[in-house]
Amino acid sequence: MKLTKRLLMSVVALGIAGAMSGVALAADTIAIITPSHDNPFFKAEADGAAAKAKELGYATMVLVHDDDANKQNELFDSAIAAGVKAIILDNAGADASVAAVQKAKDKGIPSFLIDREITTTGVAVSQIVSNNYQGAQLGAEEFVKLMGEKGNYAELLGKESDTNAGIRSQGYHEVIDQYSDMKLVAKQTANWSQTEAYTVMESILQAHPDIKGVISGNDTMAMGAYAALEAAGRKDVIVVGFDGSNDVRDSIKKGGIKATVLQPAYQQAQNAVEQADKYIKTGKTGLEEKQLMDCILVNADNAAKLETFALAD
Amino acid sequence: MLTGWPQLFQEVRADMKITTLVLASLLAASVSGCKLVKTDKGEAGGTAADPIAELVETTFDAKLVPALNEKAVDLASLRDAIKGGLDKAGESHGLKVGGAGGGWNFPVKGSGTVTEENRASKAATAEIDIDGDGTADAVLQLGPVIKGSALRDTTQLYDFSTFRDQIEYAKLGRALNDKAISKLPSADTPLKGKRINFLGATVIRSAGEKPLIMPVSIEVTP
Repeated sequence: MKLTKRLLMSVVALGIAGAMSGVALAADTIAIITPSHDNPFFKAEADGAAAKAKELGYATMVLVHDDDANKQNELFDSAIAAGVKAIILDNAGADASVAAVQKAKDKGIPSFLIDREITTTGVAVSQIVSNNYQGAQLGAEEFVKLMGEKGNYAELLGKESDTNAGIRSQGYHEVIDQYSDMKLVAKQTANWSQTEAYTVMESILQAHPDIKGVISGNDTMAMGAYAALEAAGRKDVIVVGFDGSNDVRDSIKKGGIKATVLQPAYQQAQNAVEQADKYIKTGKTGLEEKQLMDCILVNADNAAKLETFALAD
Repeated sequence: MLTGWPQLFQEVRADMKITTLVLASLLAASVSGCKLVKTDKGEAGGTAADPIAELVETTFDAKLVPALNEKAVDLASLRDAIKGGLDKAGESHGLKVGGAGGGWNFPVKGSGTVTEENRASKAATAEIDIDGDGTADAVLQLGPVIKGSALRDTTQLYDFSTFRDQIEYAKLGRALNDKAISKLPSADTPLKGKRINFLGATVIRSAGEKPLIMPVSIEVTP
């Protein structure tokens, strides 16, 4: 029920947007499908894509799949039914999303993936993939340096269904495990959630009061963990996050959280729309399907330049 | 993870496509002759060769080092070129990878004096002075822990599109770094104060930064 209602509202919103922007009624529409906008990262992504689409004269249909592959499948059905010209997607599962993207392709609707990749090539037109592995390595290098290459630490993992949770964890360990004096004493999921990270951190602190650092799979969990540490009077514990959110930026500037890793989400989404536009007009993007986009370390040195998932020059 | 192996090199192209966006000249000669080994569908057990290790074995000495050697810019000239604008220097000597977050990758060579050697960290480094003013101009990575993937990214030998995912691609970066480390002087050979020649690769993101170079060779000169 809820989904239907949301879809209906989106379609209504779409109609309004089309009418208001003054384009012809048959304005071409681009669907923008991402995880929930509750996480500012995905909101930045959707906003970036929508802004570029509008700039290029498209109407938009903005939808969220809440990391549920079934829901994503239904959203694809409605986007296809609405006759969109292209789909910009931050997908709900590397394997589970292939069928949905294929379905759109079979109906002649090209998909342009951002942030997360899928396990099959030749289905989407573009996959602009955030190099989470490289980003995690950057975060881990900074973490190890801050830890003086030794000490007990905990790791907070993201949601298991999100391929990037695993990729980041592997990237962290690729670096950290090369230092034999770094000891992992707790590794727990907090499902990307700030409140969950708070409680998980409390229990980790009880079990391991000698902890020296926490490396977190994303910024919202880093915020939750740091709040728990602060409440316990343990601001000495080194916390490193991932995403480059404004919240963590502010914490870094105040000397709280020590570092994070920025994925240029806003620009990535804009690039995807540019490629979609080119593909719609010419039948090709002129680029490889899979494009890796590097992440950037953010710490006290450059935090001030960070705003809404973009770093000023 | 082994289920991904067969996919890995299915599409490796004998005649690699060179897009107009990249420097067509870079490596054109060697790439067109590049023929990578297609691996068998080995079951995930025991003896199946590791295609990444194999790729490193068949390309490191035979393709990568010669390609770096052929295209390497002298570090002193590169520094001057960057003063005239990083993008301009990159367009003439480098390769841009990594989109908005990435930087310019340069093949570099040079000679200089090691002013400082830090072996205390596992990410060991040697600082080098190339212009003789007594201050370090660049940093050479000595391992065993290496930062970045400049060796993977500086030539067009290794194309991300032909890999299953970023993890497989990252494994290649690590394997190339490990291979390079095995050829560098170990901690038993102190470098501080010595004059050296080096060849390697670096990625530069902003004009002001001191290059962090991943060498494929460091040679102490008498």
